[in-house]
Amino acid sequence: MVSFDLLLLGFGTVLTGYNIIALVLGSFMGIIIGAIPGLTATMGIALLVPFTFGMTPITGIVMLLGIYAGAIYGGGIASILIKTPGTPAAAATVFDGYPLAQKGMAGKAIGMATVASGIGGTFTAFCLTFFAPILANFALRFSAPEYFALAVFGLSVTVTLAGRDPLKGFISGAVGLLIAMIGLDPMGGFPRFTFGRVELTGGFSFVPMLIGLFALSEGFRQVETILTAPKVDAVLKDILPKLRELKECTVTFVRSCIIGLIVGITPAIGAETSCFVSYAEAKRTSKHPEKFGTGVLEGVAAPQTAENASTGGDLLPMLTLGLPGDAATAVLMGALTIHNLQPGPLLFRDHADLVHQIFAGMIVANFLFVILGLTFARFFARVININRRYLIPLVFICCMVGSYAINNNLFDLASCVFFGFIGYLMMRYDYPVSPIVLAQILGFMMESNFRRSLAMSRGDPSILVTRPIALTILILAAITTVTAIRRQRRALRAQATVSTGASDSGGRYQ
Amino acid sequence: MANPTMKKVDIITASMIIPMCFYVFYESGTWPLPALLGNPLLIPRLVASSLLVAAGMLLLRSLAARSRILESRLQGLNLWRVSGVAVLTGGYVFTLERVGFVPTTFIFLLLFGLVLGERRWSRLIFFAIIVPAAIHIIFDATLNVPLPRGLFR
Repeated sequence: MVSFDLLLLGFGTVLTGYNIIALVLGSFMGIIIGAIPGLTATMGIALLVPFTFGMTPITGIVMLLGIYAGAIYGGGIASILIKTPGTPAAAATVFDGYPLAQKGMAGKAIGMATVASGIGGTFTAFCLTFFAPILANFALRFSAPEYFALAVFGLSVTVTLAGRDPLKGFISGAVGLLIAMIGLDPMGGFPRFTFGRVELTGGFSFVPMLIGLFALSEGFRQVETILTAPKVDAVLKDILPKLRELKECTVTFVRSCIIGLIVGITPAIGAETSCFVSYAEAKRTSKHPEKFGTGVLEGVAAPQTAENASTGGDLLPMLTLGLPGDAATAVLMGALTIHNLQPGPLLFRDHADLVHQIFAGMIVANFLFVILGLTFARFFARVININRRYLIPLVFICCMVGSYAINNNLFDLASCVFFGFIGYLMMRYDYPVSPIVLAQILGFMMESNFRRSLAMSRGDPSILVTRPIALTILILAAITTVTAIRRQRRALRAQATVSTGASDSGGRYQ
Repeated sequence: MANPTMKKVDIITASMIIPMCFYVFYESGTWPLPALLGNPLLIPRLVASSLLVAAGMLLLRSLAARSRILESRLQGLNLWRVSGVAVLTGGYVFTLERVGFVPTTFIFLLLFGLVLGERRWSRLIFFAIIVPAAIHIIFDATLNVPLPRGLFR
């Protein structure tokens, strides 16, 4: 159960000194990162993790939480103003956000998006606060077989749901597992796949790899086209939504909060899915579904609520089980480990005060970006016009300096650049990137707990299927994998039927 | 140089992965087998076997299927610019510790801006001076994370 004393103390810690400054700065930077098309929340967190080195754990973590929540919200600003989502999670906001802007109601749309995001994020921040300790307490009963099963579940969902092609997703995940094995054997201590290099005895450093795969790779992609967004010249007025307008969207808020929470909790499915599901549901249950797409506030409220609602859901499995919900939480996990904090049930047992500070930080972050978003809406709208010829080199420098600064090690910088280029090639040729990162985390968890399980049972593998919780999780993994593959095959067949004889997105066959 | 199609890329990818899998089998055969600590070969070989099968499926699929020329996706892409940036980035890695953070970053930003087509020299130079200075102050002075001094040691 949540400790209210610790939670109050947590609020006290977060709202004072450097922590509140870090939270405000993080939220502000997060909104800017989210608002600029091409920069994602994951990229923003990965870029700014190195800046938290010199900070205390809680200061660094709340800053990153501020970036996370702010960036997820910020994507909606570009969706509304220039019909280009600032982040993938804001894609559905375009459908009604941009038509509203065209009608001269850009301010109203941004105001509704801001409040909706705040409601979604705050709801799941509270859910996280109350449910995480319960789940963590339950997870204390977990032993090596259960953690092995969890890792298999996480890997199976990640691999099958990432990208359009399950085969490429599987290859990406399996390569990630092999990369995770580079270094010293976790139990025997002998070198594996190090090619005699001392630098590889610890494996590839996780954070530089993350920065390379998520931030630098996107930088290379931006270099391809020097994305020039249309200039924003909308006049923003009536930003603060009226009470009547908010009341009309009450059911939408509640439904979208629940959708966001459920989608967020499911590993490998992130805010991008929740916004579409929420929009579709809002349209389906609306008294006037024909108005969706023409510029209705409900069409903005639904996806924005869901996308920020998914943030709390994503954090739940990460904090309680050490199972990242998506790429952004994988990066946050990396940040926690840099500060010597291992996510999982033991974090709740050994650092209960810090955990409650994180809860408080998440709740405050969601209030903060609403205040900042409503107050500085006009400034954030202008940020979209930033010159990419200066932004892209800045991203490169931040990535490279950040990677180097972790251990003052040139090898880390070289890894970042290497994985950055690999990530760029993968994105270019439809190989999903997130399975590699998630496999890094889950691969170690899977292998070490598998070996521990066998050591516990003196080599008898039936321990993995005779413990009820482990068996249940493994069955869930199998069902999820089969269902996901079947669904994707159906979707691909449907796509192929539609595009038979025609070019696919302008491509032609030879 | 013609841009590679998905078919060629998939074939190249599968051709790189298959020998990687065989190497895993080869190297894992040289590992010691500590008693009571579980078999260290099992998971790596299982992963390598699965990857080998997947790479084989990818190869067969690519050879058997029609390839796609993604004209629209490649339209407007300047791959020479990407190559130029890749070379610049490699050069940055090579010179960072030797020359030092501030001068290396200054030159990197200057050249990067030129590669991206920026021709307003005053702005570019100002940017190339301000950014390394600001980062140096943030990391070195504020966060106590030293950056390489190189020639200025």
